[in-house]
Amino acid sequence: MKISKYVTLAALAGVITLPVSLSAQSSPDAQQKLLQKIEELEQKLKVLERKQELKDEETTAKAKTTPSIVLGEKGFGFTSADEAFALRLRGVLQLDSRTFFRDHGIAGNDGFLVRRARPIVEGTVFRDFDFQFVPDFGGTTAQIFDAFVNYRAFPELQLKVGKFKSPVGLEQLTVDVETLFNERALPTALTPNRDLGVQLHGEAFSGRVSYAGGVFNGSGDARNSTNLDTDDTKEFAGRIFFQPFKPEADSFLRGLGFGLGGSYGSEHNNTSLPATTGGTLGGYATDGQQQFFAYNPATGVVNANGEHWRLSPQGYYYYGPFGLFGEYVISNQRLSRTGAAPLSSVRLENTGWEVTGSYLLTGETAAYKGGVNPTHPFSLSEGGWGAWQLVARYAELNVDEAAFPNFANPATSASGAQAWSVGLNWYLNRNITVKTSFSHTTFDFVNGGGTGTRAAATAPGIVARQAEDALFTRVQLSF
Amino acid sequence: MKSILTSVFALALTWSAAVAGDITLLNVSYDPTRELYTEYNAAFAKHWQAKTGDKVTIKQSHGGSGKQARAVIDGLQADVVTLALAYDLDAIAQRSRLFPADWQKRLPSNSAPYTSTINFLVRKGNPKGIKDWDDLVKPGVSVVTPNPKTSGGARWNYLAAWGFALKKNGNDPAKAKDFLARLFKNVPVLDTGARGATTTFAQRGIGDVLITWENEAFLAVKEFGADKYEIITPSWSILAEPPVAVVDKVAKKRGTEAVAKAYLEYLFSEEGQDIAGRNFYRPRDAKAAAKYEKQFPKVNLFTVDELFGGWQSAQKTHFNDGGTFDQIQNK
Repeated sequence: MKISKYVTLAALAGVITLPVSLSAQSSPDAQQKLLQKIEELEQKLKVLERKQELKDEETTAKAKTTPSIVLGEKGFGFTSADEAFALRLRGVLQLDSRTFFRDHGIAGNDGFLVRRARPIVEGTVFRDFDFQFVPDFGGTTAQIFDAFVNYRAFPELQLKVGKFKSPVGLEQLTVDVETLFNERALPTALTPNRDLGVQLHGEAFSGRVSYAGGVFNGSGDARNSTNLDTDDTKEFAGRIFFQPFKPEADSFLRGLGFGLGGSYGSEHNNTSLPATTGGTLGGYATDGQQQFFAYNPATGVVNANGEHWRLSPQGYYYYGPFGLFGEYVISNQRLSRTGAAPLSSVRLENTGWEVTGSYLLTGETAAYKGGVNPTHPFSLSEGGWGAWQLVARYAELNVDEAAFPNFANPATSASGAQAWSVGLNWYLNRNITVKTSFSHTTFDFVNGGGTGTRAAATAPGIVARQAEDALFTRVQLSF
Repeated sequence: MKSILTSVFALALTWSAAVAGDITLLNVSYDPTRELYTEYNAAFAKHWQAKTGDKVTIKQSHGGSGKQARAVIDGLQADVVTLALAYDLDAIAQRSRLFPADWQKRLPSNSAPYTSTINFLVRKGNPKGIKDWDDLVKPGVSVVTPNPKTSGGARWNYLAAWGFALKKNGNDPAKAKDFLARLFKNVPVLDTGARGATTTFAQRGIGDVLITWENEAFLAVKEFGADKYEIITPSWSILAEPPVAVVDKVAKKRGTEAVAKAYLEYLFSEEGQDIAGRNFYRPRDAKAAAKYEKQFPKVNLFTVDELFGGWQSAQKTHFNDGGTFDQIQNK
């Protein structure tokens, strides 16, 4: 701007003074002086221009070494100029409500709850080393969910060490803020949650194949492991997943993915039993997070006692606004019970499966990863209404009937559950989502059980006394 | 399970080894050596492949010598440095300890494979009649030289002018300082490096004379044409000895020690010296020096050690904060 001002002034000066000078001083000597003056002015202009050029170069060079600060829908972060170092602050807040119908006050507290409250600190050091730390302050106790370091040698070969999701279940591996319903489906209760260990993983052939395999402390179904191991045995977990058409942008099969996850290990303590969600003993819970099955024999205590393997064939298909997602899970585990008679040890095979469909009414593109990006984010002033999505799901979980009566009490534990759910999700923008869904769960019983025969005051029997009908809502902030 | 894991690790190791097959070196150099190292790198890569079968790619980074040294101190992963003056390499050795303080002893000729000096480049016909340093302090003469704070070449320029002033004024530093003050009064713009100063003079058309490296002056005449510029050799100038060194710690970390060492040693070979001469640097080797003798004009040369007590002393007196350069700039 300064330069152009000088140029303009000089040009004006030249135009105004030249004719006057030429007419007033027309001798060769005077003309020579005038030309010299013009040359001097020209030099001054060139110097000013060059100085500006050098200043611009300096500014550009400085920008290359100045760290950048980013504040946007993906959180708040700092990145070094060479991008070798980065620190990002993100977060998740899920504020839920659960309302149980026809429960007559006997089970399921209607109420509001803080389901997840997680500050997320993540970043990169020395370009190839990523880290993440995620504590959770939702629920009743604060705990560490993720704490790991990941070395990216190549996209095809990465090494992750710490606490993170074990690579088995497809829905379990879905990012917490991108699940279609408030709670994951019944079969996910058979897969491990977070565990401590070492994992090799990566993507090859332009993302057509992804794999993960590692050694972990080993944890019970759906359990978030503690921060230390309580036995010497370990669990191997792995998953291979194929998306054969992923690089083909125009193919209608681009969103097709299928794979197999599994784990194998040996476990010998009660923390290797399924999670205690909704109860005090290891077992399985409904969509309403109420325990319908527990390892609760009339006498004695149940423990994991040996081999435990899981297998999960899984897949999905996404095309435009449509999404379909499904998996089948087997969890096969050897258990023992104190107070030996009549059976002290058993191998149980519990199974589950689910199918979930979704459709974005407002036409956005659905995908397994990345969430929903509303075409017109909600804004009263600009007239946008966000993205709207219909979701529906059917799921089952079947407990091995050999569990009854020596490892689970048929009077208080159901042997299976079937749940169908429907919902409507409203994505106001990338950061705020409102979810509403209804879930209906029915239960199976082995001989000796049955509706109305469970002790009314004893969990989990009180849960399975009748079908569970629950309405869920969620307001979610994620960035 | 154990065998599967073993296979995965073996595959990973093989993969890494295959990827690590290409050797890459980073040569962090000063401003006017672009052409020299472009030619030299190709020759060395060919030589290295013939000798070892390995493919080596050399990346170049150029800028003001002082600026480049600071970048290396701040973490730029240079395998080798080929800078304008020993002081900049001393700074790297002292501040970051990336190589030992006696780095100059590791290669022949104090680790300076070629030399140069400081000349003037003027516009064709020499309209301002510039013949020697005296002419640069005359009123109305516009002089282009880079900033000694960032450019190694500029420091050579400054010391060459100071040396001339000392010789002309009976070694009186006060008179020399006054001479430099008058000279810098004629400098309209300070570039950060020698190549930038050439751009200012030759491409932007600023100034009557460019004080520059001998090789840079020759290159400008070659590139822009003898019909546009002339080289003027002053009565006295300074012997410039641009040094080179392997950045030990970086090379060790990157596994490039052997090739980095060979890269610098090859500068002293027959081919390396010939390439230096071809690019207007004065070769150390007698045979190559004789070959290119006619190319370089005769000039009386003094050294930094003779007149300034070495680079450490010269830096402290003239270029550190509060030194003579700051004093004359703040006048």
